[in-house]
Amino acid sequence: MDDQQYYLISGRQNDIRIESRVLEEQIQEAVAKGRRKIQVEAFGQHGIGGRLWRAGDKPLEIRVTGHSGQRLGSMGYANTRIENFGPASDDVGWLNGGAEIIVHGHAANGVANAMAQGKIYVAGSIGARGMTMTKQNPRFAPPELWVLGSVGDYFGEFMAGGIAVICGIEAQTPDNILGYRPLVGMVSGKVFFRGPHGGYSKSDARLMPVSDADWQWLEENFSRFLGAIGRVELYDELAERERWQVVAARGPMDKVVRKTRSISEFRQSAWNRELGPGGLVGDLTDLDMSPIPVIVTGELRRFVPVWENRVYAPPCEASCPTGIPVHERWRLVREGRMDEAVDMALAYTPFPASVCGYLCPNLCMQACTRHSSGMASVDITQLGKSSISAKVSELPPAAGKKIAVVGGGPAGISVAWQLRRAGHDAVIYDMSDKLGGKMSRLIPRSRIPADVLEAELERIREVLAHVHLQQELTKDDVEQLKADHDFVVIAAGATKPRILPVAGKERMIAANDFLARAQDGSIDPGKNVVIIGAGNVGCDAAVEARRLGAVDITLIDVQEPASFGQERQHAEAAGAKFLWPCFTRQITEEGVVLESGEMLAADTVVISIGDVPDTDFLPDSVKVEKGFVRVNEYFQTTDPQIFAIGDIVRPGLLTDAIGAGRKAAAALREIAEGKRPAMDRAHMIDTARVSLEYFDPRQSVFSGVEQCGTSCASCGACRDCGICESICPRGAISRKQLEGKDYEYAVDPDLCIGCGFCAGACPCGIWAMRENDPLH
Amino acid sequence: MQANAKITPSTLSVKDHPWRIAWSRDKCSLCGQCTAVCPVNAIELGVFRKRIVDVEIHAAAQPGNVNKVYHGIRQRTDAAYHCIGCGMCAMVCPNDAIMPYHNDEADKLRFHLSQGGQAERRGGRRNAPAGILDQIKFTRISMLTDPALDAGRHEFEMRTLLGRLLPPEENMKRVREHGWIPPVREIYPLIIGGMSFGALSPPMWEGLQMGVAYLNEEMGMPVCISTGEGGCPPRLLRSRFLRYVILQIASGYFGWDEIIHAIPEMKVDPCAIEIKYGQGAKPGDGGLLMWHKVNDLIAAIRGVPKGVSLPSPPTHQTKYSIEEAVAKMIQSMYMAWGFRVPVYPKISATSTSLAVLNNLTRNPYAAGLAIDGEDGGTGAAYNVSLDHMGHPIASALRDCYLNLVRLGQQNEIPLFAGGGIGKNGNLAANAAALIMLGASGVQVGKYVMQAAAGCLGSETRRCNICNIGLCPKGITSQDPRLYRRLDAEDVAQRVVDMYVSFDTELRKIVAPLGRSTSLPIGMSDALGIADKAAADRLQIQYVV
Repeated sequence: MDDQQYYLISGRQNDIRIESRVLEEQIQEAVAKGRRKIQVEAFGQHGIGGRLWRAGDKPLEIRVTGHSGQRLGSMGYANTRIENFGPASDDVGWLNGGAEIIVHGHAANGVANAMAQGKIYVAGSIGARGMTMTKQNPRFAPPELWVLGSVGDYFGEFMAGGIAVICGIEAQTPDNILGYRPLVGMVSGKVFFRGPHGGYSKSDARLMPVSDADWQWLEENFSRFLGAIGRVELYDELAERERWQVVAARGPMDKVVRKTRSISEFRQSAWNRELGPGGLVGDLTDLDMSPIPVIVTGELRRFVPVWENRVYAPPCEASCPTGIPVHERWRLVREGRMDEAVDMALAYTPFPASVCGYLCPNLCMQACTRHSSGMASVDITQLGKSSISAKVSELPPAAGKKIAVVGGGPAGISVAWQLRRAGHDAVIYDMSDKLGGKMSRLIPRSRIPADVLEAELERIREVLAHVHLQQELTKDDVEQLKADHDFVVIAAGATKPRILPVAGKERMIAANDFLARAQDGSIDPGKNVVIIGAGNVGCDAAVEARRLGAVDITLIDVQEPASFGQERQHAEAAGAKFLWPCFTRQITEEGVVLESGEMLAADTVVISIGDVPDTDFLPDSVKVEKGFVRVNEYFQTTDPQIFAIGDIVRPGLLTDAIGAGRKAAAALREIAEGKRPAMDRAHMIDTARVSLEYFDPRQSVFSGVEQCGTSCASCGACRDCGICESICPRGAISRKQLEGKDYEYAVDPDLCIGCGFCAGACPCGIWAMRENDPLH
Repeated sequence: MQANAKITPSTLSVKDHPWRIAWSRDKCSLCGQCTAVCPVNAIELGVFRKRIVDVEIHAAAQPGNVNKVYHGIRQRTDAAYHCIGCGMCAMVCPNDAIMPYHNDEADKLRFHLSQGGQAERRGGRRNAPAGILDQIKFTRISMLTDPALDAGRHEFEMRTLLGRLLPPEENMKRVREHGWIPPVREIYPLIIGGMSFGALSPPMWEGLQMGVAYLNEEMGMPVCISTGEGGCPPRLLRSRFLRYVILQIASGYFGWDEIIHAIPEMKVDPCAIEIKYGQGAKPGDGGLLMWHKVNDLIAAIRGVPKGVSLPSPPTHQTKYSIEEAVAKMIQSMYMAWGFRVPVYPKISATSTSLAVLNNLTRNPYAAGLAIDGEDGGTGAAYNVSLDHMGHPIASALRDCYLNLVRLGQQNEIPLFAGGGIGKNGNLAANAAALIMLGASGVQVGKYVMQAAAGCLGSETRRCNICNIGLCPKGITSQDPRLYRRLDAEDVAQRVVDMYVSFDTELRKIVAPLGRSTSLPIGMSDALGIADKAAADRLQIQYVV
């Protein structure tokens, strides 16, 4: 060392260590005064040799003897060359901005931390965290760290640029010259090394062969490094190219995470291999578990559409006691088959015009789905009235059973009608001189034109050849009928009027008698008429009384009158007064005396509080309960050979009587054939399935049967409108023509996704979504 | 409803429903996918009448009145078909034309889910978004004080111990004397809690197990999973993967005869045995797997006839006191595997948790205690049990831990906390908070279902139909038509993703504490909360 040339600054004065601040001031002052060669006799001072910009472009030589402190040459400038004679403490060259720093010995932890430019040559090994957080600024050459020996742990963490050369000569850790966990987080730069290593962060860095350009650079710089540390004799040892390797940072796109098998590979090669084919439950099930999409077809659909055509009865049919499939008649009308629509009724009732058209309260219309939505019901009376022209189809020969029908009213006619049409021989016996029971004898002609009823009775007579009128029967007669016939049907009605047990009761005339005599003109009711019992029969009596000249007509009742419909309307139109509650005390010559003491003047007093059957003529084998004949669900009495229908069983409407006749006939036919009668009727459709939005809610009056037909929603029976075909988003529905006029709408399961649009759009409620069959 | 139909007390309008369907006529292409996918048939094709009145006062022409119809999607209002807000319709809609949205007021439906006297039952969660765990902050961030670590660069060993740990001197004594040393497992502190084969669909269960196996074998993370009470597939029992499995035994003992039959053929011991006494979601309510879920597969695994409902009683029937219940069950379960497998009970968090814990401290075999808080999930429970029964996990766990500290046994009986951890998505933060309050690890269920299988449930009454087998994601269904929507491999992948990201987050929390090789169990000086009462109750710092 040529001490002569160097300006000496000591870190001690009077054997006392001076503060780092004072030493720094002395060095800066010396440089400011033009000193360019300075020797510092260090005594552990911090940061010696850095920040000496005052020397400008002039080279500055700093020699450090003694014990340099931490951060030797920190923030060094490019003009500065620092040579440390001996080992160095932590952080040599920290934030180095260009100085060349030579350490003739080992350096401790943190060498070159955050170094950006300059060079650090270490003649020994270095401690932990060397070359960490270094950078390369594009304006300058990359920083370099040369280490003759080995590096400590965590070398090169976060390294963001620069070149490190680790020579592995006289290394402190010769078996692993890169230390433990080097290069974690390295993003740029490269590290040349010579000797064994114990791994590095493979996700951040990559081992590469030394390229020719790299080797050329190394060869050029070996001499410089060895010269700086005074070990030129090592050149040949260093210059063995095959012993060198380089680790360079991976680029951002090149980073690798730990290489692992994919889940699929793992499933195949580990999971299924250990568990067996099919994995976890492959031994327990052979169900296909492969993934499926959310929208599926075929057997994978959760719901499937079902075309439930005519599975459910429409409300009109279901509520008609006679059971007429009204909607079918409207279908025929829509199809332009008016004649068939009219004739069809005769299969169900012998009185399609009289009852459906005039006398029935039309339960079908009350139940009509349209009605429940506040729309006008389809008007069956129009079709009913047209049915006067209905033609009886050709009758089969009466070759079946012989059946006696006692009673020629609507129930008796209905059962005989049905039996005859089925090829049985039905004979009617009636006490009256007229066929038709109440309809002929009691119901005022104001409610049904005489010609209509007569035309229908005529049609009935054509069908029923054997009618015996004015036949009063006794028990013995009925026993004889039993003997002469296979079956007897009792349809004698309720003919005994109920009478009030009050004084003067003999002055009352029973409503039925009154109505019958009114019809044949054999009664004059006088000016004042009081009718006890303001039901529909009472109303009929009022209308007839008015027709026969009565002026003041009063109907009284113990409660709010139960009369309704046309009967009530006609009575009110006739000027009848309704009074209630009125309790009759007695009947006098003047009229009716009430419990209140009031006297209602009357020339005629009619009693119309109902009728009860006359069952005296029935054989003892027929059980009677509370005045009515007991029957089972097939209208069979306790005598299996005898059936009973109509008011003798239960008071009801005309349609109830006609329906009972039809059902009893059906049961009787089955029983006659030795079968158990099938009385099940289709359940009524849930009207929520029907879409009335297709119809005009303002339609309150129908111009004719055609408009009625088009306005019928055809609940439960396909209208063949094709809306389902159109709405289906997958085109899965198609119309299939079957034999004759039959057709069906079918679903292609391979196209259908089970959306239910068909069910939602169907005006008639035919399509239903059913849960698909379970897959397991 | 039909226009003129009678209304009943339970007749509801769309306005009364918790979820309402917004449908755009302009955007809809009537493709049918929404109605096809709706799990509860809450929507259907509707026919709508559109009346157009065309009047012009000065026009010579007659005023017009035209009825047209159009078709569109209609929400059903019958309580039995109420929209559950799952949003599958929105998922399949190609035109973004449909979406359920939450009613802006308390719905009326809730008052009508008692039709026929049947109290409401459902699956899912409490639907209570708030909770104390999310409010806990990690306030001890060491920069210069402790050796702060870098979560991304440093090595971490995120492990915990499951098993009874002897005091060192006792341990050494037994080593010297060749005495019995309780088995202890070193496991990952995030455990997949008990969800049975049956409650979950086959691909969900297999996916979870496969993901756990992958984490162990490919990622080196010793994750374990509880079977829940529904047995364990025979193949898994006889595989090497059993070592990652905690077999649960509960009051129904379903599948346990199959497990007993498998013991001689087991290649490895299971991770542990969990004795379930209670479930946080529905304390005091038993389990019920409805008959329609009990198909051939479930029947085989549970060892029961198919097509019957399977109730698990709320209590084990032959146990009449804590001492007897705990001692008897723990002994039996240890014996089954020759005292080589840790056995611990799982209870609902309750004000009586401490009594159970104190009993365990006197039982030399108890391997730990799992405590399940009120925010836990369930496949099926009575609404009232879900919403109103139970105890929050934080204070229950804290009380137990501090009690162990008083006894000097905090390092001997590990506590595992569960119930609502990560219910708002903050899995690692919630887990770390519980660990620092004293848990050795946490159990999660719902979070896994959401992260790994895309469960649609949320804390706002969405979906919640786990109990009826119609899970639109196929997670809790036994119907192949639904569960085949779920791919076991996808589930496994998501389990892996979830654990790896959880691991990163947990490191981010513990690294500033200078912890890298041992969990900061009970390190409650790292916690703070801006709620004085909670801070006092949990004995953590009150920070504002």
